[in-house]
Amino acid sequence: MAIITLNYEYLERLTKTDRNTILKSLPMIGSDIERVEEDHADVEFFPDRTDLYSVEGVARAMRGFLGIETGLPHYHVAESGISFSVDPGLAGIRPVLGSAVIRNLRFDDASIESVMALQEALHWAIGRGRSKVAIGVHDLSTVKPPFRYIASPRDRQFVPLDYTESMTMDQILDEHPKGRAYAGIVEQFDRFPLIVDADDQVLSFPPIINGELTRVTSDTTDILLDVTGTDERAVQNTVAIICTAFAEAGGTIESVVIDGQKTPSLEPVERIIDSDECARLLGLPLTPELIVPLLERMRFGAEPLEGSKVRVTIPCYRADIMHDWDIFEDVAIAYGFDRFPATLPPTFTIGSEDPACRFIRIVSGVAIGLGYTEVMPFTLTNERVSYDQMQRPESESALKVLHPISIENTIIRTDLLPMLLEILQLNKHRELPQRIFTAGDVNDGTLTYQKMAIAAIHPSADFSEIYATVDVFLRELGAETLTIAPSDDPAFLPGRQGAVMNGSEKIGCFGELHPDAIVAFDLEHPVIGFEIDMRPFL
Amino acid sequence: MELTANEKRLLAELGKHGSADASILADELSTDAAAVVQWAHLAAGRGLVQVNREVKEEYQLTEEGEAYARDGLPERQVVESIDGEIPMGELSRHPLAKVAIGWMRKNNWIVIDHGIARKAAAIPESPDEIALEKIAAGSMDLDDCGELKSRGLVTVHEQVRWIIEITPAGRNLLNAGIDLRSEAGTLTREQILSGSWRNEVLRRYSLATPPRRIYPGKPHPYRLILDEVRTLLLEMGFSEFSGNIVQSVFWNFDALFQPQDHPAREMQDTFYLEHTSELPDGWEKVRDMHEHGGETSSTGWGGAWDKTKAEGSVLRTHSTALSIQYLATHPEPPLKAFSLSRVYRRESIDPTHLAEFEQLEGIVMDEGVTFSHLLGFLKEFYHRMGFSDVRFRPAYFPYTEPSVEPEVWVDGLGWVELGGAGVFREEVTSPFGISYPVLAWGLGISRVAMLRLGLKDLRQLYKSDIDWIRNTPSYRRI
Repeated sequence: MAIITLNYEYLERLTKTDRNTILKSLPMIGSDIERVEEDHADVEFFPDRTDLYSVEGVARAMRGFLGIETGLPHYHVAESGISFSVDPGLAGIRPVLGSAVIRNLRFDDASIESVMALQEALHWAIGRGRSKVAIGVHDLSTVKPPFRYIASPRDRQFVPLDYTESMTMDQILDEHPKGRAYAGIVEQFDRFPLIVDADDQVLSFPPIINGELTRVTSDTTDILLDVTGTDERAVQNTVAIICTAFAEAGGTIESVVIDGQKTPSLEPVERIIDSDECARLLGLPLTPELIVPLLERMRFGAEPLEGSKVRVTIPCYRADIMHDWDIFEDVAIAYGFDRFPATLPPTFTIGSEDPACRFIRIVSGVAIGLGYTEVMPFTLTNERVSYDQMQRPESESALKVLHPISIENTIIRTDLLPMLLEILQLNKHRELPQRIFTAGDVNDGTLTYQKMAIAAIHPSADFSEIYATVDVFLRELGAETLTIAPSDDPAFLPGRQGAVMNGSEKIGCFGELHPDAIVAFDLEHPVIGFEIDMRPFL
Repeated sequence: MELTANEKRLLAELGKHGSADASILADELSTDAAAVVQWAHLAAGRGLVQVNREVKEEYQLTEEGEAYARDGLPERQVVESIDGEIPMGELSRHPLAKVAIGWMRKNNWIVIDHGIARKAAAIPESPDEIALEKIAAGSMDLDDCGELKSRGLVTVHEQVRWIIEITPAGRNLLNAGIDLRSEAGTLTREQILSGSWRNEVLRRYSLATPPRRIYPGKPHPYRLILDEVRTLLLEMGFSEFSGNIVQSVFWNFDALFQPQDHPAREMQDTFYLEHTSELPDGWEKVRDMHEHGGETSSTGWGGAWDKTKAEGSVLRTHSTALSIQYLATHPEPPLKAFSLSRVYRRESIDPTHLAEFEQLEGIVMDEGVTFSHLLGFLKEFYHRMGFSDVRFRPAYFPYTEPSVEPEVWVDGLGWVELGGAGVFREEVTSPFGISYPVLAWGLGISRVAMLRLGLKDLRQLYKSDIDWIRNTPSYRRI
């Protein structure tokens, strides 16, 4: 999630109201206030509202929400006469370019900080770590148009930002901190993306690093923006967010001609919505007349058409509006979540328990009646606990996760008894006897089903006790058709174990745990256990 | 006043002595002194006797001490051997000189001057000699034992004696008469049937003695919370469903309109498996939705949707993967359903983050249900969970629009965010032929458990200390 630092003084200047009014309303347009400090607040905005990732964008939205300035913001785009060409050789590498010129900027610390933070947040939220979109901002006065976006040989040299020596692009990937961080995006290509000016001076090596030449300082007034990437829509969306933020900061926007195409447009998009549909979704009695002012507070243009239709003009920076319901949500936000009527749905239905959950509830009652206490172990485990310590061969149906976090969590459990022994091990120093059970999911390959298991440890735990206990379960669960058969499970002692059979299929096991297993779990007293597949009961 | 049988026996015996040592009483009562002291303390609590603890030091000669008691202390033996004066060189050849010289000087028995030891005119008995004689004679009646202890000639033992004395109140009670017949503990079948219990003195048990602590078999404290939620939803007419832990990427992400390059899909956050899943019939509609919004007013995400990505398998990252499948197989209204299931996130494990935890998810699908109904339902649900103050804030989830975050008031913590909710996007429902609004909400139920049980470490729920389970009450008022 993007956390944006809002400098109060700058925010108040742009919003034209005081900080307390703003802070009070911020959560109600959709944000989490993380920290409130002396001179700034850190606020988290949602990943769909990338237009709020700058102080300028927040001020624009708050002016609307607080009724200070409502309706569609207009952004004039003049022509700069500057042109850009894109090398067709970039096709498989990084083919999309967006650009604009912004003039008459007067940077101070607060606005430079806001612009830098906006770039970083967009790199993360839209750019997917710069792979989909990367942004470069340059001091236009240091370079000479027209500009060229080219696929360059990798040994091309220039001085990267924050360095004084010139380096090859390969060297940058090896040595520059940004190069190392983002090398993965380009290193597989024979040629690298590069932006140069009319004199072949380097502006940028997207998406890695700008040149030192075009560094933006507090003296910079005119900016060239480059946005490169792999996705046209994401690139244009980024250009719109940055250009309008600069315009809010007082800059004037000028277009650039890229291969004959004038960009950016910053024109709003139009949608015709139906106020009846909005009313049905939200459960509010909304008419076009009621919706229009709500939309305007969210900075849409809105105009009632005939019947229940409303023409909505969507500002260019609102890339999150994909569907009419996205607009309806803004209507709800403008209306105020705190003012919403909260009424129970009239839907009448009769509830029912999941059969497996019902079975677990009942079998748990039997176990508790026998003095067993429930535990709820993890479902992620490992081969050591499940098989090695149990003295059992590894199960072929154990499903291994591809990138486990630790050696403790490599498979989904196939059995419950090892999980119980692990819990007895944790409680080794607690008072005996200990009798525990669990019922829940296990996996056989990709299939999930349920098992139940019990285990007890105390100095006189023996086969007679577990056999009698298993007998109780089978009687209580009405399992007349199940039978007991000899078993040779290495987890149990020979001659002190049995199998529960459903016809010819083994569905359960019980007995005195093998002393090798007891010792492997670092236990010191006799342990008895029982485990059974629930499927025959369901 | 109800005395125990032992107190009565003690009082009767003490009546003969007035005051006696516990060990003497123990002999008379055929028990040990510790038991007598315990009974006496009980009786003292009722003012019937007084218990006095006396500590006495007892001295015992060491082997070396025994020898000196017989032959005299080294300084006595050496000084006796001096006739008037003696050069130090010669004196030091005496076998006991090393020990004796210091003590002779300390006792002022000799004066050393220019290498000559001169014997004093009178050699009085030293305090050590006096003490040694007394101890040897068996007397314990000394104020101290001089330096004998530090010289290693005697050892000192603390002797604790318990002197028990009957008080006037005890004497009165005794004079009034005490029933010394033996008491009956557990009743026998014979005593009950014959009625002979009427003639027995039935032991009366003291409530002051704490009971033995025993532990029942019981449900896990977390299970009780999960069951409370299940019951609540069943009461509200919801049907329960469950499903596979392993889900296709299609159901876990694509069907929920999460873009294919969404960060939550990365290996870093999600457990992937090698297994490839088959896509359900009609998967093309999901593809169309991603690419251009299908037949809805949506623009879709644009770009090309990659089928092979959707065929991957993951451990379900949210129970919404189960909800959408339940909806796809039950597309006709009305429907109210929920699941309480484990979900998996590839997180490094710490006290508040686990790789698996329970998620509650509920859905309501019906003609005419609205966002306003969702808020109404959430309010009701949280009230029933015991949170009386609930408020709503806008939120963002990729598969709902509008989205909302309910917050509940918790004393001491303030407003706590508890789950998320919204109306399923048309992009989610439309490919599966669901043509009515679906209200959905989810809740990390382990957060509720942490609040309820006052846990600081979530791992306690899954790798439980059995004493914590034993000592956590099963019931609490809502």
